Amino acid sequence: MAGAGGGGGVGGGPAPMGGSDLQWCFSQVKGAIDEDVAEADIISTVEFNYSGDLLATGDKGGRVVIFQKEQENKSRPHSRGEYNVYSTFQSHEPEFDYLKSLEIEEKINKIRWLPQQNAAHFLLSTNDKTIKLWKISERDKRAEGYNLKDEDGRLRDPFRITALRVPILKPMDLMVEASPRRIFANAHTYHINSISVNSDHETYLSADDLRVNLWHLEITDRSFNIVDIKPVNMEELTEVITAAEFHPHQCNVFVYSSSKGTIRLCDMRSSALCDRHSKFFEEPEDPSSRSFFSEIISSISDVKFSHSGRYMMTRDYLSVKVWDLNMETRPVETYQVHEYLRSKLCSLYENDCIFDKFECCWNGSDGALMTGSYNNFFRMFDRSTRRDVTLEASRESSKPRAILKPRKVCTGGKRRKDEISVDSLDFNKKILHTAWHPLQNIIAVAATNNLYIFQDKVN
Amino acid sequence: MEAQKEAQRIMTMSVWKMYHSRMQRGGLRLHRSLQLSLVMRSARELYLSAKVETDEAELSPFPAAALAPAPNLPQPMTVAEAEDASLQVSEEAIPAPEPMETQEARENEPAPACSCLPPVRNATLSQRSMKPNRKRRSSSLGQGGEAGLVPSKKARLEEETAPTEGKTEVEAEDLERRQSQVEEGPFPSLARVLQKRFSGILSNTAGPPKPTAPPPSCELQPGCRQADHMINILVRTVVAF
Repeated sequence: MAGAGGGGGVGGGPAPMGGSDLQWCFSQVKGAIDEDVAEADIISTVEFNYSGDLLATGDKGGRVVIFQKEQENKSRPHSRGEYNVYSTFQSHEPEFDYLKSLEIEEKINKIRWLPQQNAAHFLLSTNDKTIKLWKISERDKRAEGYNLKDEDGRLRDPFRITALRVPILKPMDLMVEASPRRIFANAHTYHINSISVNSDHETYLSADDLRVNLWHLEITDRSFNIVDIKPVNMEELTEVITAAEFHPHQCNVFVYSSSKGTIRLCDMRSSALCDRHSKFFEEPEDPSSRSFFSEIISSISDVKFSHSGRYMMTRDYLSVKVWDLNMETRPVETYQVHEYLRSKLCSLYENDCIFDKFECCWNGSDGALMTGSYNNFFRMFDRSTRRDVTLEASRESSKPRAILKPRKVCTGGKRRKDEISVDSLDFNKKILHTAWHPLQNIIAVAATNNLYIFQDKVN
Repeated sequence: MEAQKEAQRIMTMSVWKMYHSRMQRGGLRLHRSLQLSLVMRSARELYLSAKVETDEAELSPFPAAALAPAPNLPQPMTVAEAEDASLQVSEEAIPAPEPMETQEARENEPAPACSCLPPVRNATLSQRSMKPNRKRRSSSLGQGGEAGLVPSKKARLEEETAPTEGKTEVEAEDLERRQSQVEEGPFPSLARVLQKRFSGILSNTAGPPKPTAPPPSCELQPGCRQADHMINILVRTVVAF
């Protein structure tokens, strides 16, 4: 059942861009080939900037690596838009909370780019507790001829200064600098799971398990609590916030998802503390599919507005749902990502995979969706044709320009030659983070410590 | 019976996961703790409903009056006593604790009822919980059926009920309050109870159950039984701050 569920009649983007209507080919793979993967090298987030020219990854070691798209080169026609390392920096370091006797991991939970305002690029990165605003800027000139300093930066002997000099800018090798501009700390008691930049370009939100805070990008010592679901008695806790995002166009609107599988849309104009939601999106649970693990698999791991702002997409453990903001009662589309795992939930609970938080993303025209699965498989769904495809990020098929062959998981009965059975899926290889270029058919897929970049086949 | 065993296995697994998540780098995760407690709650409900069915089947020849002692009589058993009881039972009943069942074991078994609870069963459970509770009251959740989590208690409870009958109601209430204080205690006491429990299990099992451990026999697992005493406490989300 590929695109079952919703009421249908939903127009996709201007042209189908994903799913099975496209042929994807391998472009690049980043990261070490070693079988032995260091924990710190595991990619924990992937994000294109607004133009798609920069691609940022964060890892469990607290590092941020930024790749830049090379300009098309006539001498190398096959190097169409390759991404190369632009800047690498250590965004977060491990810390220790002495009051709670707890270590704060350096793992980058999320990266969000700010819309570009000048020559420099800005991004927000966060670990469990602290959000940082980074400026990434280029320098290809340096000033020379200071009056009081010599070429090495040492102070000159004042008695030797006989004439007034005007420093001049001299060209130098291009240098990319990343500098922390703001550090937003001490506002979250629980673990930060989301950050989202507002369309006013001045504020952003950060969400942890129980609260959502609103920040101004310039002000680090103050944030406003806009959602607080912490019960007075923590024993009465029944749900937590799992993700939150601002509407792409309406700066007063944001959504947050919960571990119960519901989404609340809030309007910041209605009150300062958005305890009362404006809209509540929930699909009634099917009692026939109830199990021990119903609460876990219905928990929403990611929520993303479409670029148009009309829809939002949510990812739970087994499916992706598309919601129309005008209909709260049920999603307009439901796509099964790996329904064959429903019978394996007990094993997935045992090996902790059931707690994996898969993310999801839209393509540039909102006509296709992408999300990850196990065995280094990732899935694409075309909204207009309701067709889906399973692709694999693997080094075996990573020959230049090699077309990705659709993969199929055998869900019972006789296994065909090119199919893989559910029991032979490798649950250690999982694709949790993916990103789609905002304007082109280029996708970035994080597979453990490797970043795969694929693009559509060009005739 | 199959469902009961599966529920027990999942409860044990959840206890282990909770215990280990305390030690994970970066501290306890609220979302994970909540999810673990929800799974444990579901498993416990199933376990209890299956247990009540078994109990009824066993006790059905006896008159109903004998089955239901006065519901307003609290059972004056503290956590410490419960520990004694569990130790006693584990010594009496089962020779050696076994590790958790493995994935292989489950694959060999005919499909267990773990992944799909029939809605009928839930209905049965809610019917059960409406009945007057003859066992210890669960301090936190107040559902009658949940109090019967300690499977080994039946015989001992009946023994202990007799002396209690002579006490005044004030005393009984006092005892109940004390009991609930112990069970509902703040975080440090929870940690202490956990510590005790796990050190007990660890000393018995000589090491944590490994996923690759050989499949256990079809007998009830003492490891699970011991863990049962914790469930009243652990089924709540554990919050570190």
